[in-house]
Amino acid sequence: MSPNSQLERQDEAVTEPRDPGGASHHGKRRTSGERAMRASLWVLMAFAAVPFVFPLWWMATSSLKSTSEILRIPPTLLPESPTFTPYREVFELQPFAQQYWNSIYIAVLVTAGTILLSSLAGYAFARIKFPGANALFVLVLAGMLIPAEVTIVPLFRFVNTLGLMDTHWPLIIVPIFGAPSVLATFIMRQFFLGLPYELEEAGRIDGLGRAGLFWRIAFPLARPAIAAVAIFTFLKSWNLYLEPIVYLSSRDKFTIPQALTQYVDAYGGPMWNVQLAATTLTVVPVLIVFIVAQRQFVQGLAHTGLKG
Amino acid sequence: MPSTITSLRVGRPTRRSTWRRRDNAVGYLFVAPQVLGTLAFVVAPLVMVVWYSLHEWNVLANTFTFEGAGNYERMLEDPGLRNSLVVSGWFSLGLVVLNISLAMVLALLLNQKLRGTTAFRVMFFSPVVVSLVAWTIVWGFLLQADGGINGFLSTLGIEGPNWLRNGTTAMISVIVVQVFKNVGLNMILFLAALQGVPVEIQEAAQLDGANAWRRFWAVIVPLVSPTILLVSIITVVGSLEVFAQIDVLTQGGPGHSTTVLVYYLYQQAFEFNQFGYASAVSVLLFVLVLTLTLIQWQTRKRWVFHES
Amino acid sequence: MIHRRTTVSILAAVALSTSLVACSAGSDPGPSATDTGAAPPAAPVNLTMTVWTANEDQLALFDEIAQGYIAENPDKVASVDFEVIPFADYTTTLTTQLAGGSPPDLAWILESNAPEFVQSGALTDLRGTLEGTPGYEMDDLVDSALALWEDGDSLYAYPFSSSPFAMFVNTDRIAAAGTANPADLVNQGEWTYDAARDISAASVAKLGGAGLVVRDFEYTVWENLATVWGGWGASPWSEDGTTCTFTEPEMVDAMTWIHEAIFADSAIPGPGTSADFFAGETTMTVTQISRASALDGSFEWDLIPLPEGPEGKQNVIGQAGIGVFAQGANPQIAADFLAYFTNPTNAERLATYFPPPRESLLTAEVLAQANPLLSEEQLQAVVVDGIQGAKTKPSHQNFAQLQDTVRAELDAMWQPDADVESVLADVCTAIDPLLQG
Repeated sequence: MSPNSQLERQDEAVTEPRDPGGASHHGKRRTSGERAMRASLWVLMAFAAVPFVFPLWWMATSSLKSTSEILRIPPTLLPESPTFTPYREVFELQPFAQQYWNSIYIAVLVTAGTILLSSLAGYAFARIKFPGANALFVLVLAGMLIPAEVTIVPLFRFVNTLGLMDTHWPLIIVPIFGAPSVLATFIMRQFFLGLPYELEEAGRIDGLGRAGLFWRIAFPLARPAIAAVAIFTFLKSWNLYLEPIVYLSSRDKFTIPQALTQYVDAYGGPMWNVQLAATTLTVVPVLIVFIVAQRQFVQGLAHTGLKG
Repeated sequence: MPSTITSLRVGRPTRRSTWRRRDNAVGYLFVAPQVLGTLAFVVAPLVMVVWYSLHEWNVLANTFTFEGAGNYERMLEDPGLRNSLVVSGWFSLGLVVLNISLAMVLALLLNQKLRGTTAFRVMFFSPVVVSLVAWTIVWGFLLQADGGINGFLSTLGIEGPNWLRNGTTAMISVIVVQVFKNVGLNMILFLAALQGVPVEIQEAAQLDGANAWRRFWAVIVPLVSPTILLVSIITVVGSLEVFAQIDVLTQGGPGHSTTVLVYYLYQQAFEFNQFGYASAVSVLLFVLVLTLTLIQWQTRKRWVFHES
Repeated sequence: MIHRRTTVSILAAVALSTSLVACSAGSDPGPSATDTGAAPPAAPVNLTMTVWTANEDQLALFDEIAQGYIAENPDKVASVDFEVIPFADYTTTLTTQLAGGSPPDLAWILESNAPEFVQSGALTDLRGTLEGTPGYEMDDLVDSALALWEDGDSLYAYPFSSSPFAMFVNTDRIAAAGTANPADLVNQGEWTYDAARDISAASVAKLGGAGLVVRDFEYTVWENLATVWGGWGASPWSEDGTTCTFTEPEMVDAMTWIHEAIFADSAIPGPGTSADFFAGETTMTVTQISRASALDGSFEWDLIPLPEGPEGKQNVIGQAGIGVFAQGANPQIAADFLAYFTNPTNAERLATYFPPPRESLLTAEVLAQANPLLSEEQLQAVVVDGIQGAKTKPSHQNFAQLQDTVRAELDAMWQPDADVESVLADVCTAIDPLLQG
C-alpha cells in the first residue's frame, strides 16, 4: 500500500468521526432510548460551547458600543446604537496597520525559518546515527523546558551589545534558532521516525546521497507534520508578549499583543471600546482562516500525537 | 526486512566507512543550526543566569557584588517564595486536572457522530487561535463583580461572587480562563488518539457486558495512554509558565493568592530590582520543570500502555 | 536511558558555551573600567526621554519645544525622541532598560519612586546645570515642591508637574438626586468628607451608578487613598520612613470611615466594580485637575477643593519629575536640554497640562489661559491654593516592595465584615522589616 494513501486514510479518520457505539454498524436505526441519550449529549455539548464562544461574541459586539454602555449593568447583549467610531480610533491612535503587518511578517519569517531548521534537525536526529546524536538531542530538548522569563535578561543584554535593540531581529532570530523551535524539531523527529524505510531505500538505490534523500523524498512526505509545525510556530510568534515589550520601544515597531495594551488614555485608563475593536480586528481574520482551513489544522495536529 | 544496503555491504568495507563518514558529516551539518542556536540562546543565557544568581545586582545603583550562595540562603527563608511554590502547586494541579479531563470529555463528545460535530469542533478550538492578551482582557472584563458573568447569573437569581477579589475564586478564575483558551489543542490530540482505537476492541468489550464507564477506563485509556503522556508533559510544563494572564487579571492578588512562581520571579526582577535574587529563583524554576518532566518521562513505563 | 558518554558530551557542550559566554564582551553589569562619560562626543547626538503619556497634544508640544532646542544647538543635538511607555508598566520597563544596559538619557519619574531613584546614585545632579543656565531663574522655583527630589545640596530630578488633587462633581446627578450642592457647602465652610459621603450615598440610592470614586485606587493602588486619610492627619509611615504608622489612631479612624463608606453606606463603589466618572454615571471623584481633558461635555460638572476631615483640609499633590541618568550616553547634554525644556518660557507652555513648581506661573490668570475648561475661581481655589502646604503622596526608598506588601495585606480589609484594626496591625507586622531597610 502506498504510504500516501495510508496517511490519507488516517487523515480521514480524524475529520470524519467514526461511530464507536457499535450498535449502528449497519444502517442508521436507533432506539428511542439511544436517541434521547444522543439528544442530551448534544445539549451538553451546546452548553459546553458557551464559554468558548460567548467571550468572542461579547468582544465583537462591545467594540461597537460606547464605553458607558459597555460598563452598564445589566449588560446589553447587542449594541444599542452601533457605531464604528472605535474602529476609526484604532487606526488613529496608533499605527495599527503597521503593527498588524509587523506581527504578520515576523510570524511568517519565523514559521518559514523554523520549518526549515526543525525538519533538517528532526530528520538528522531520526535517521542519521552520528556519534553524539543522543546527547545533542537531549541538550536541544532542554530548551523546551526553560521559560522565557528565565532567560530574558541575559538575552536582553546580549541583544543590546549587538546593537539590535528596537529592531525585529531578536524576535525573528531567537525563536528560529532557540528554545521555541525545539518543539518543532521534536515533532519532525517523531514524524520521521515513523516514516517507513522503504521509501528512502528506493532513493538510495537510485544513487541519492543523504541530502538528496532528505530533499527529494523525506521532506515532501512530511506535509502533515510540517502543517502542525507551521500552526504551532505561527501562533506562538503571533502571541509573543514579553519579548516585544522588552526589545521594542518605537510604536511603529510594536507587534499586536503589545499594541492591544496601548489603547489607554493619557493616564493608563483603558479605552474599552477601542481596545475591544482592536482585539476584534486581530481575532476575526485568524478565525476566518481557521474556519476555512480547519480541516488542515486538525489533520496536522492529529499527526503529532499519533506516535505518542 | 532485507536491506539493500546490507547486501551492498558485503565485500566493500572501505566504501561503507567513507559513506558513513559523509553521512555523519551531513548529520552534524543538519543539526548544527539548532544545536548552535540552543547553545547561544538557551544554554548560554542559562549559564549567565546562574552567574547572576551568585551576585546582588542593584540596577539603579549599578552595583554588582558577589554574594556566593547568599541568594540561595535567602530563598530558604523567604515566606514569599514558599507561598508562591504552594500557589504554583495548586495552580498547576488544578489546571492540569481540569484541562486534561475537559479535553477528554470534549473529545469523547465529538467522537460521537452527533449533528454539527464540525461546527462544534471549530467552536471549541477557536480560543486557541485567538491572541492570549485579547482573550484575557475580555475575560477580565466579564469577571468583574458587575460584569457579564455575574450579570448573567443575576438573571437566574444567583448572586455571583466577586470573582477576582476573593482568594479562592481568583485562582479558579485564572485557571478557568487558561483552560478554556488551550483545551482545544489537547482535545484534538485526544480526538485523534480516540480515532485510533479499533472499533472491534470496543465492541468486544461491549459484548462482554462492560458498560461505557468500564469500557472507558479498561479499554480506551490504556490505548490512548501515549497521547495522555505527551499531553500531560506539555500541559504541566505550560502550567508553570503562565504569566500574562496573571499579570492582566489579578497581578498576583488578592493578597498573594495567585502569585505563582513565574510571577514572583517577574516581581523580584522587574518591580523590586532584585535581579540577583530573581536569577536564583529562575534557577529554581528551571530545576523544578526539569524534575517534573523527568519524573513523568521515567514513570511512563508504569502506566503508559505500549503494544509490543 | 542516559549513558555516560551522553553525560560527558552534554557537560562538554555546557563547558563550551560557558567559555563562549566568558569570552564574548565579558560584560558584567555594574560599573565598568571604561566608564568615564566625560569626553564630549564629536557629532550631534540623539537624545531619548521616556514618558508615560500617550496624549497626542502633549507629545506634539514636547516635539515643538525640542525643535526649538535643536534649532539653537544644532551642533549638540540632532533629535530628541519622546519614547512612550504605558503608565501601568512604566517603572518596570524603565528598570528593564537599565538592566539591559541601555537606559534613556532622560526619564519621567513617579513621586513614589523618587526616594529610591534619588538616593541610588543613578541620576545626575542637576543643580549646577540649572543654576548655570542663563535666564533660568532658579529662585522662582517653589522650595517645598523640590523637597522630594533633593538629597543634601544636590537636585537629582526636576518636578516638572505638581498637580493638586481636587473633587470633580457631576452636578446633573446632584440636581437629579435632590441633595445639597457641594459648591454651596464649600462656601458655607461645611464641605466635609461626611457630607460628601452622605450626598454620594443618597445619589446612589436614588439614581444607581456610583457615588464617590477615588480615581485610580481600584483597591490596588492604596497610596491614592492619601487624599482621603489626609483629612484625618494620618500617614502610612513616619517622616523618616522607619516606623509604621498604619496602627496610629488617625489611620485607624480614617480606614474605618472608608470601610463603612464602602460597605455600610454604599457611598464608595465596592471592589471589582468599574466606575468611571468621565463616563457619566458617577457623582463625584477625587483626582488631579489635569484629568479635565477627559470631560466630553455630556454632563454638567464642577471642580471644587478636597473636603475636610476631622483634622481639617489637607492638600495633596501628585508630582512627576524628570531625571537624567548618569549611565546614559550623554548626561551633560541631556541636563542642558532639561534646563531648556523647563526654563520659564517653556514652563509656561507646559503649564497647560503640567503645573510647574514656579511661583510666577502659579497664578489663576496664567493657568486659566492654559485650561479653557476651568474658570479662574476654580483654578484659584483648587490649584493655586491647593499647592500651598500640600503633601505629596506616600513615597519611600523601598516603595516597590512596600506597595506590593501593603496591597496584599489590605486585601483582607476590603471585605464587608473585616476587622479594620487587626488588618492594619497585620500591615505593620508585614512592612516593619521593609521599613527598617
